Amino acid sequence: MTMAEPAVNPLRTGMRLNRAADPCAVVVFGATGDLTARKLMPALYNLARERLLPGGFSVVGFARRDWTDEQFRAAMKEGVTKFSREPLQEELWESFARGLHYVSGTFDDAQAYAKLAERLAKQDIAHGAAGNRLFYLATPPDAYAMIAQRLGEAQLATPQAGNWTRLVVEKPFGRDLTSARALDQSIGNVFRERYIYRIDHYLGKETVQNIMVFRFGNGIFEPVWNRRYVDNVQVSVAETVGVEGRGGYYEESGALRDMVQNHLMQVLALVAMEPVASFRGDAVRDEKAKVFHAVKAIEDVGRDTVRAQYSAGAIMGAMVPGYREEQGVAPDSHTETYAAIKLEVENWRWSGVPFYLRVGKRLPKRATEVAITFKTAPLQLFRQMGGDNPTPNLLVLRIQPDEGISLRFGAKVPGTRSDVRPVNMDFRYGSSFGVEPPEAYERLLLDAMLGDSTLFTRWDGVEAAWELLTPVLDGWADGASPIKQYEAGSWGPDAARELIERDGREWHRM
Amino acid sequence: MASDVTGLERLEDRPITMSPAAIEEEFTRIWKETAAAGADEASVRLRTQNFVGVGPETWTVERFERVMESLPQRHPCRSVLAVISPERSGLESSISAHCWRTAAGGRHVCSEEVILKAGPADEHALASTVLALLVPELPLNVWVIGPVVLDSHVASELIEGADIVFVDTADAPDVAAALRAALIAHRKHNVAVCDLAWRRLAVWRSLIAQFFDGDDGARRLSQLRAIEITGGGAVSSEMLLMGGWFISRLGLSLAEAERDNTSLTATLYDGSRGVTLTLKGGPEQAAAITEVKVRTSEAEFIVQAHAESGHMHVREEWPGDSDHRTVAQVPTDDASVVAEALDDASDLPIFIEAAEAAVDLLRN
Repeated sequence: MTMAEPAVNPLRTGMRLNRAADPCAVVVFGATGDLTARKLMPALYNLARERLLPGGFSVVGFARRDWTDEQFRAAMKEGVTKFSREPLQEELWESFARGLHYVSGTFDDAQAYAKLAERLAKQDIAHGAAGNRLFYLATPPDAYAMIAQRLGEAQLATPQAGNWTRLVVEKPFGRDLTSARALDQSIGNVFRERYIYRIDHYLGKETVQNIMVFRFGNGIFEPVWNRRYVDNVQVSVAETVGVEGRGGYYEESGALRDMVQNHLMQVLALVAMEPVASFRGDAVRDEKAKVFHAVKAIEDVGRDTVRAQYSAGAIMGAMVPGYREEQGVAPDSHTETYAAIKLEVENWRWSGVPFYLRVGKRLPKRATEVAITFKTAPLQLFRQMGGDNPTPNLLVLRIQPDEGISLRFGAKVPGTRSDVRPVNMDFRYGSSFGVEPPEAYERLLLDAMLGDSTLFTRWDGVEAAWELLTPVLDGWADGASPIKQYEAGSWGPDAARELIERDGREWHRM
Repeated sequence: MASDVTGLERLEDRPITMSPAAIEEEFTRIWKETAAAGADEASVRLRTQNFVGVGPETWTVERFERVMESLPQRHPCRSVLAVISPERSGLESSISAHCWRTAAGGRHVCSEEVILKAGPADEHALASTVLALLVPELPLNVWVIGPVVLDSHVASELIEGADIVFVDTADAPDVAAALRAALIAHRKHNVAVCDLAWRRLAVWRSLIAQFFDGDDGARRLSQLRAIEITGGGAVSSEMLLMGGWFISRLGLSLAEAERDNTSLTATLYDGSRGVTLTLKGGPEQAAAITEVKVRTSEAEFIVQAHAESGHMHVREEWPGDSDHRTVAQVPTDDASVVAEALDDASDLPIFIEAAEAAVDLLRN
């Protein structure tokens, strides 16, 4: 269905948002789960308190537990009290909570969906939700297809004329290429691609969005952002935490599925993509898709990938158990908690420039960074004059924590010799902007309500990432790149160091 | 992102008489001493703008200092306050640095502040000193504190090179004159003018605009019949600017207006449709808006501020139906309002049109 552009509101001229979200009902499947209490409800509450939700907004929680509206409200209040970035204010909560409702049912129970439809129809009248629906799947992934099917059968997936219906799906979207395609088909039978919002909360982070601002909002970086000047790109995600009691989930997932296929590939795409002419429609997602399609297939999984598990060790002075000793983890588990991959983007801009991705749990510090190492100057002039050899320029985009950007360059050490020492030019968000940014889920939920899918992943991007990484999973299953061990609190296995040192490079020190 | 501020320190604050070059030297000395004293902690001197205040001594310094307690944490700056005091002769200056610690990295971030005081005879010296102290290549934002006097020598010199000029027409004894002065400065110097009274309306404007979003909203706008703006005291610049905003954004023509000390009623036209605009003051001192009612032929939309709770109530009344919600008010202190305006100045051209319409309302 093609929707006409809504009428222009003259009172909006000069305002940041050119319209508020339409009145709507957000239906959260898995409403009694951790994600709802920790992330979704605090995000919705903060959007409401900051006046970004429309009149006629309501939430319907859907889950198996036999709760009443009041019980749901009480549980959500507890979640918001605990996890909201802004403290809960009683009067604001009361106003927000009036729009919270609950429907009990299992995800496969057709009767429960009839009940849900009835409840939504009532709410359209009570809250003026105008028939607009945002279905949010905060459930285990194996329930996605069933919920989509039942929504279709209950006629809830098809909007009435002039209204909209959207589906928000959490990661992971499939376990591999085959399962992702099957899931896409199941959901696609009910919802058209343009109404499916696959959430990757990394894309809601301010500093990830700033990669685009940094590249395309400044004139000086884009001219050197290519194979002629860049030696290599590294995307690193280091976590100090282990599996945090989610051993059962992690056993089925692993670092490659949990982080690389989605978060790291999305960051890679933002670093490597071509400039967009505008942010309208699908422009950004089109460019990202081109990057995914330009990534060369990994031919030698044993050579270009490393997987490993942490063994017992010390993190920040405290002893921690090894992965295989964690609750819910098999003693002979082969699930990786660390992955490193070398990729190449085969296009005119990046041909010959390696992209190294690494992610690991139980590393010495928590940090997410993109490090771009530039080629050294063509003439080593200062070495000839008896000075040191300048280290290459390095640009680091720090995504978390201590968000910022630093640029390393060589400077002359004061004195009669021509000694060159690397120095850093450092920008830190926390120093320059004393304003608290919204949580990633606030931005993404609001965008979904506004119908802006720029920061959500599209099927062709998801499929291309799986096409690239499924052979790695298959290769690992067949014994290529046997799983290594690394001590908790170290920077990963020796094999990861060897992967990059083979190319005459080294991992950026985080 | 690290915005946690764990403390504010003033490194130096004593009156000194000196030239711009001596002031710069004094800052250099402070930074060197700071670095030597806190060898285990990094200090960063950060400036993303020049922020200059101009005003009479009686209330300028305290108000400017209050803003400087928090504005630099959001918009690090070199700030200069230029005070002209009738009782004073000669030029006196004091310098200080505001520092705070960010959570990430635990480093100190510091902004610099210079306060210059001069008598009427030293206005030229004062202006030239301020100009010499501006950090090159950074935006210059000027806040004319107190009554909106934009044609003094110091103000004129600074406005000439400013990016944004801040005024607060709520401070002016004659609102019409203040609005006219702001409009003249905008035209004469081609500078963006930001009235803090206007910016305090941002949350009201945003909530009211929500009623009229989308196709249904467009229909409601075409049914608009009456706008009623209520405040605590006399008809204030905020009430006038809110009225002016409706008039200018909706393209309404003013047919007639009647006013007394505490109210103003205007008849407006859009083609053949008549719209009544009422500004209603009250007996209280505070002039801030307390309620805006917008009536269409089908419904009534009401936004109210609740001073005690700091919340706003939004109500939609339809025949046989109603909806209401409570949202947070935004802080309206000077520092927050200035910081917000520096974050997003996209509504400043809209202010000019609203101010012109407000002046028209008073002219009739």
